[in-house]
Amino acid sequence: MIKSAELSQTRYRIADLFLEFNHPVSLPLTQLLASFRDFQISSTMDKADIVINISLEAPPVTDDMGILRTDESIAWGDRFRFYEKGDQFITTIANEQANGTWYQYSERNFEQSTIYVPVSSADEQSAVITWISMMIFGQASLLHDTIMIHASVVNHKGHGVAFLGKSGTGKSTHSRLWLTHIPATVLLNDDNPAIRLTAAGIFIYGTPWSGKTPCYKNEKLPLKAFVRLQQAPVNQFEWQPGMKGFIAVLPSCTSIRWNKDLFSSMNTILEKIIAEVPVGYLKCLPDVDAAQLCHRHIFSK
Amino acid sequence: MKLRADLVLRTIGSDHLIVDPSQDMVDLSTVYTLNSSAAWLWEQLKDKEFDLGTVVELLCENYDVSGEQAQSDAEILLQDFEKQGLLEK
Repeated sequence: MIKSAELSQTRYRIADLFLEFNHPVSLPLTQLLASFRDFQISSTMDKADIVINISLEAPPVTDDMGILRTDESIAWGDRFRFYEKGDQFITTIANEQANGTWYQYSERNFEQSTIYVPVSSADEQSAVITWISMMIFGQASLLHDTIMIHASVVNHKGHGVAFLGKSGTGKSTHSRLWLTHIPATVLLNDDNPAIRLTAAGIFIYGTPWSGKTPCYKNEKLPLKAFVRLQQAPVNQFEWQPGMKGFIAVLPSCTSIRWNKDLFSSMNTILEKIIAEVPVGYLKCLPDVDAAQLCHRHIFSK
Repeated sequence: MKLRADLVLRTIGSDHLIVDPSQDMVDLSTVYTLNSSAAWLWEQLKDKEFDLGTVVELLCENYDVSGEQAQSDAEILLQDFEKQGLLEK
């Protein structure tokens, strides 16, 4: 057993939610989670919204892993498995040396999880713990009026605009075009922002997760619009009212499908967001005209 | 019969829809759209045990339709619900 004296607590605030790691002192978490630096807070008396325990002990593995829900993973390829067993979800990732396995045991709603660390380099620990914590945050946040989306987000004069699209559509490219050609525009996040419903309106937040672009800003902006992008030989912008807007944003939202409460919660949050935030559809080339056309439609509205 | 309890009817502007998450490995959720009378019926029928007669009765009481028309509309609607897997098994 690890004695409590050897445990350390590290806390972050992401999209106004408290994320707490409990980990052995020997694991230098703040160094491993470099992209989390701007989100770190000192310990408070407030109860954490999401707790992740990290253990160097042997995982409590049994032969029966439960139901294999998916082995599809863009990030981990063949190394990844996701199981449902009773009231737990279990994620496994084979380690780089292929002589051990990462195990993540989560409660059904992902408020409490434990990660078991196999033999691994610091780089591997950094990559896996960063990724797992994103996955956990994406689920657990749904219980707090917060949704993670797959998007590249620009900050134009204090307003957030979120660009959506399948991988390879050119979300980041379109953001770059805004940064270069639309004055007073900077990047908020390039891959995984969070959106939160509050009494004061709908806000989009930077997070410690931003795909390949190191842009980890602890900032929030009122969300002005979503734009779904599709590559085309022309530039054409069209607003998507009501249901069309909902359907345009839905595929970019994070939720596992095997916890129906979380999935339903995601849809309810999205329904409320769509009632307030307009959704556009941009057929586009990767050129300056596309950015200017998009900007004109959103900011003349 | 009964409507699936895990499905939630959602209203966005004047549109009504139901999102059914795929339980397969491939993440392809299905979105069903309902017209306003189907959406109204969904709300009346949810959490209840019902049959064809229940739907015909609801239609006759609330819409200006003949019994024959209501019977035929109800049959089509329930076939659709059945075919799309929106009923409890």
